[in-house]
Amino acid sequence: MNAFALLFLIAGLGLIGWLTARARANRFDRGGAKRLHSLPGQHGMYVAMWTILPALLFVAVWSALSPGLIKQAVLEHPAAAQLPQFAFERDALLAEAKRVASEHAATAFDPVAEQLVAPTRSAQTYYGWMGTGVAILLAFAGAAFALTRVGAHFKARSQVERGVMVLLLVASLIAILTTLGIFLSLLWESLRFFQQVPITDFLFGTHWSPQVIDAADPGKSLGAVPLFWGTFFIGAVIAMIVAIPFGLMSAIYLTQYAAPRVRRWMKPTLEMLAGVPTVVYGYFAALTVAPAVRDLAVSFGYTYASSESALAAGLVMGVMIIPFVSSMADDSIAAVPTAMRDGSLAMGATTSETISRVLIPAALPGVVAGVLLAVSRAIGETMIVVMAASGAANITLNPFESATTVTKQIVDLLTGESEFDSPKTLAAFALGLTLFVITLLLNIVALRVVKKYREAYE
Amino acid sequence: MQKRIRRRYARERRFRLFGLAAVTLSAAFLAFLLITMVANGWRGFTRTDVALTIDFPASGMVVERTQLATPGADLALAGAGLENTVKGAAATAFGAGGEEFISESAWLRVREAIKHDPSVLDRKVTLDVPASTEIDQAVRGDGNAEVKAAAAKLQQAGALSRHFNMDFLYESDSTDPVAVGIWGALKGSLLTMAVTFLIAFPVGVLSAIYLEEYAPKNRWTDLIEVSINNLAAVPSIIFGLLGLAVFLGSWSLFGYQFGPLLPRSAALVGGLTLALMIMPVIVIASRNAIKSVPPSIRDAALGIGASPIQVVFHHVLPLAMPGILTGTIIGMARALGETAPLLLIGMRAFIVTPPGGFTDPATVLPVQIFLWSDEVSRGFVEKTSAAIIVLLVFLLAMNGLAIYLRNKFETRW
Repeated sequence: MNAFALLFLIAGLGLIGWLTARARANRFDRGGAKRLHSLPGQHGMYVAMWTILPALLFVAVWSALSPGLIKQAVLEHPAAAQLPQFAFERDALLAEAKRVASEHAATAFDPVAEQLVAPTRSAQTYYGWMGTGVAILLAFAGAAFALTRVGAHFKARSQVERGVMVLLLVASLIAILTTLGIFLSLLWESLRFFQQVPITDFLFGTHWSPQVIDAADPGKSLGAVPLFWGTFFIGAVIAMIVAIPFGLMSAIYLTQYAAPRVRRWMKPTLEMLAGVPTVVYGYFAALTVAPAVRDLAVSFGYTYASSESALAAGLVMGVMIIPFVSSMADDSIAAVPTAMRDGSLAMGATTSETISRVLIPAALPGVVAGVLLAVSRAIGETMIVVMAASGAANITLNPFESATTVTKQIVDLLTGESEFDSPKTLAAFALGLTLFVITLLLNIVALRVVKKYREAYE
Repeated sequence: MQKRIRRRYARERRFRLFGLAAVTLSAAFLAFLLITMVANGWRGFTRTDVALTIDFPASGMVVERTQLATPGADLALAGAGLENTVKGAAATAFGAGGEEFISESAWLRVREAIKHDPSVLDRKVTLDVPASTEIDQAVRGDGNAEVKAAAAKLQQAGALSRHFNMDFLYESDSTDPVAVGIWGALKGSLLTMAVTFLIAFPVGVLSAIYLEEYAPKNRWTDLIEVSINNLAAVPSIIFGLLGLAVFLGSWSLFGYQFGPLLPRSAALVGGLTLALMIMPVIVIASRNAIKSVPPSIRDAALGIGASPIQVVFHHVLPLAMPGILTGTIIGMARALGETAPLLLIGMRAFIVTPPGGFTDPATVLPVQIFLWSDEVSRGFVEKTSAAIIVLLVFLLAMNGLAIYLRNKFETRW
């Protein structure tokens, strides 16, 4: 049975359980008591909970388990003996048979796969009906159990509320499981990578050319230093040269000088810069900014200018980052008490002197934290560099030359045609782990800065 | 003394001017970006048509009329050599090489016309068919002199006309820039967003409720809190790696080898990955909204005998809902514009039929933009910009809705 139909069926059974229990609770003999502990609706919820949850849990487990069981059953079929021993080809044939059996494709191209269609289909039907049967049985069993417990003195409300609490707890655990999942999956794949390539070669090697990997010594062509440098150069140097002055001055102007009406319009306008999808920035960088930068370089007499320069990607990224810097700076300047500002002005300082000598020093932790978060954002930014930066790994200080970044390489390594276990693919996970750790550290430091150095004003 | 004061005032003016310049330049950049996109993109919504005269009786094409009313009509017309007939008609009408003037997909338009009115097969008719990319560009003043001259000749003969390109909204990806459309990508985006919302919203709101209202203050809840805050700042591409490794990698458990848990490049995987990405955004926004509901409301409800669960679900949650929805819409807008994680999980396939369900191969609007931006043909530049306009319109609408909700329901207690 298809999964949606099954889910609807279970939900329907839950609804019937709810209605039945509520109707029964309405007719409870109060036995002299003025009020019963639980409302009829709560009895209904209790039965519905017992009907739906166990069945749903089983469906979740079953949908993860059954593909393995189906595969096992197909492999035991006599026709499977013709399958090639090599795991990759074998999986491809099995997948083809599965596609035809589930009617996503009309016919199989390979005769062996064609022969496996019938066994796959029968295994799918067998395990599919088995799963459906058990799920429905569980729903009925749950409903029966709950209905026997429902009675005039049964505390349905406490039971239901305990169920809700469990649901809430599970929901909040998903967040921590995601973090753990990210970390473990990155770590797992990276460890497989470091079994093939020594970690020192990866972290300190200065030659990056994943397209041609020497099978005997893969570490030689997988040195990531040029990527780290390119990421730092584009994200933390060029982008910040644009973003910090623009962001900071915008925040100062909007908080200190601008008329309220101007501020009301300009602040959301600047924030729109952060809302534009990065693929749009990337397209803009590649189509408009990069050629302009190259022409500029040529007019400076720099003949080898690349149209995929670090400058073009960095400039556009800097513009994208402006609102991050400005809104953090805005918040922390606004948090400085007006008494301090008024005091400085009363002493005869001009507004600009007040800003640079009083407000900025007082707001500095917030500003620094904003810059750190912006850097972490910039080095994790992908689409702009994928579309506007080059794939050539250089260590250079010349902004007109091409540079590549960690994120661009991750995309390049994983979108090419290559098998899943090669050092090339696994290298992407090692890069991802490095990126994850660095951005995590930047965030932690930023939060620490804010916590530790924040002046507490009354 | 006077001089010094003058100098200080001059510096004050300069400083103020710098601030103004920073704001203006930032806004100017945004304006420049939008204007470039619109200037490039509005042409993507229009199309140049050529009036092509086809003499069907003279073409010698044999079509079974009875088949035209059946679902097999497309196949019958293709089998009868309609494509060549149309090309031949172009050569007859515009001279040798005339088939270069009409789009590769022009015969599809003729096919629709025949299906609409089979009687055209008995006469000589003039139909508007899409012009080729070269002619289309030449009309706008691009391309080489030869094509420009040809286009000018066509224009003089009154054969060219410009229309709003409805097909751009209805068609899917294609190799011919004249024939492409965004419907496939848009549908993929909508399916992906549906999955993202169905997972991220309930889980995000429920965990916000738990953390804000019930969680005991201990090491575990601190850990959950820290990891949610960190998740909000993890680069999006890392979520792509997670999706690739967890949903599409192979697993072994209890000796069983599992293939990929989910089909590659499907809206389901994309939606799950994006849901993990925006969940922290929703959790943080929901917590702030719940926190801003004053304690007196909780106390009042508790005072008349509500249980802690009833307090939250009957009183706190409805009051916090506008804030929660605002945060959710902002998170969904972020997911709608996201590209990098979806590239990693394979949603970059060339897809010509819109996805029919959550598990069909699909692509989304930002990825479609990325794919078109890689095409060298000049015609794709304006199609890319046109798709960007559509994406920006969606994003602006979502952000506008979020701002409207915030303003309408903002309550100061």
